[in-house]
Amino acid sequence: MPTVRPYGDAALLVEFEARIDPTINERVHQLAGLVADERRRGSSWAAPIPAYASLLVPYDPLRMSFEQAAAAMGEIVGQVSASGVAPQEAPALEIEVRYGGDDGPDLDEVARRTGLTPAEVVELHCGTTYRAYMLGFAPGFAYLGTVPDGLRVARRATPRQRVPAGSVALAGAQTAVYPLATPGGWQLIGRTDVVLWDPQRDPPALIAAGRTVRFVPVRG
Amino acid sequence: MLEVVEPGLLTTIQDAGRPDAVGLGVPAGGACDPWSLRVANALGGNGPWAPAVEITLAGPTLRVLADCRVGLAGADLDARVQPGDQHFEPGTGRVLRHGETVVFGAATPGTGVRAYLALEGGIDVPQVLGSASTCLVGRFGGMDGRPLAPGDVVRGRSDVFRSEEREWTWVGAFRPALEATNRPLRILPGPNASVLAGGAFEQLLATEWMVSARGDRQGIRLDGPPLAVNPASAEMLSQGVVWGAIQLPPDGQPICLLADRQTVGGYPVVAVVISADLPLLGQLGPADPVRFAPVSTDAAVQAQRDQEELFSSSTRRLAAT
Repeated sequence: MPTVRPYGDAALLVEFEARIDPTINERVHQLAGLVADERRRGSSWAAPIPAYASLLVPYDPLRMSFEQAAAAMGEIVGQVSASGVAPQEAPALEIEVRYGGDDGPDLDEVARRTGLTPAEVVELHCGTTYRAYMLGFAPGFAYLGTVPDGLRVARRATPRQRVPAGSVALAGAQTAVYPLATPGGWQLIGRTDVVLWDPQRDPPALIAAGRTVRFVPVRG
Repeated sequence: MLEVVEPGLLTTIQDAGRPDAVGLGVPAGGACDPWSLRVANALGGNGPWAPAVEITLAGPTLRVLADCRVGLAGADLDARVQPGDQHFEPGTGRVLRHGETVVFGAATPGTGVRAYLALEGGIDVPQVLGSASTCLVGRFGGMDGRPLAPGDVVRGRSDVFRSEEREWTWVGAFRPALEATNRPLRILPGPNASVLAGGAFEQLLATEWMVSARGDRQGIRLDGPPLAVNPASAEMLSQGVVWGAIQLPPDGQPICLLADRQTVGGYPVVAVVISADLPLLGQLGPADPVRFAPVSTDAAVQAQRDQEELFSSSTRRLAAT
């Protein structure tokens, strides 16, 4: 069973088993959905923040004490089935990527560190279906996992001041597409022209949490 | 209606932010000192969360293009209305006349680093994801997602100027958080406090920290003797973070998260500033001393309740003058 703990004076932290695991993460998002349902019914919860294996749920402490909030959350947590949670099997979102060159300036470095050829790096990166475990870091930035063991590389020692929007990147067990030009320390292996984030679009984030994603190589 | 002549160091539009969009990775945003935003709006004749101008450390020069009622709160940037060199004090509202210019200077030490200028009707910029706030990292909201720049025109939503000429003054302390000098920030233990080595939480409380020069709307770093982390504590998975979370990166120098914090973080959160002290946190600037004091959750909630009652009673008295 997940644990429910206070996080400051106006939020609860619901923690599941601390692992990067699709089934655990599916429960997190299932719980987030139940909280969203409660919000639509006019509860004192604010919008929750799902992560790999935890859900942060802010609430209004002037309307609900910590004890009341923890008890209410305990009931909601009880509705998340302890077993039989299958990750959504919606078709994977395909994202076309130009690998290497100016689009992926770290591709050769990643190849060197992993002992693969650049072509093998691309093959491995494209040969995996990833799950969007959570959004964070920047608007629309989806943490995708998990990267095959042979492709895991550390972050760059010195982050770049500016990573171009659409850059496809690796860091440890995670891969991602930078939705916006931001500073960033991940290894850049390619780039896409797909618009990951548009605040005027509905939904603004192309990759929703829980979605599956595949990368498809295209020529630059 | 105001035209930006000089933009100041970092001048943005802020309201209550986008708490509903955090699941998309969007920073909650909004005013870093929500108390002062509300005071400025009350003085400007608005509801508490109307979009207003947030001014940081060194202020803008604004030319008045049309008569308007404005309210000012937060840090004292020695604002002057020209001609006449009239001091426009924080904690007051007034009517600006066409042809006048408001010149903000540098923040007076001890009064905070952020001032809020409200225009009657609230500032007229498009709502994006439920808020008018400037989201700097996302480059949307406010004035095209960027700080104010020379030539920008800041309009209030009420196009008809209704007020008779007069001035408004906040009754009582308009900066209650800063009234007591060197008041500690009240904290609760954070969800990852157990990563702290023996004695490190006591050291957090006993140290007089100093705000680093590296700070922005996302957070401020604190300089002081590094806090030791338990070597046995495993690398943690990123989790959601709250406003006021005190993170401990590997260098042992705490980071206090502000309004534009990222939604998730991978550093352990060893303590959390209570909601009632977030306005004070948002007024800390480079080289300010910072102390922490532990409180109970009950005391934290009571402090917030007291703050809400102070705001309500002061607003009623303002309306009555």
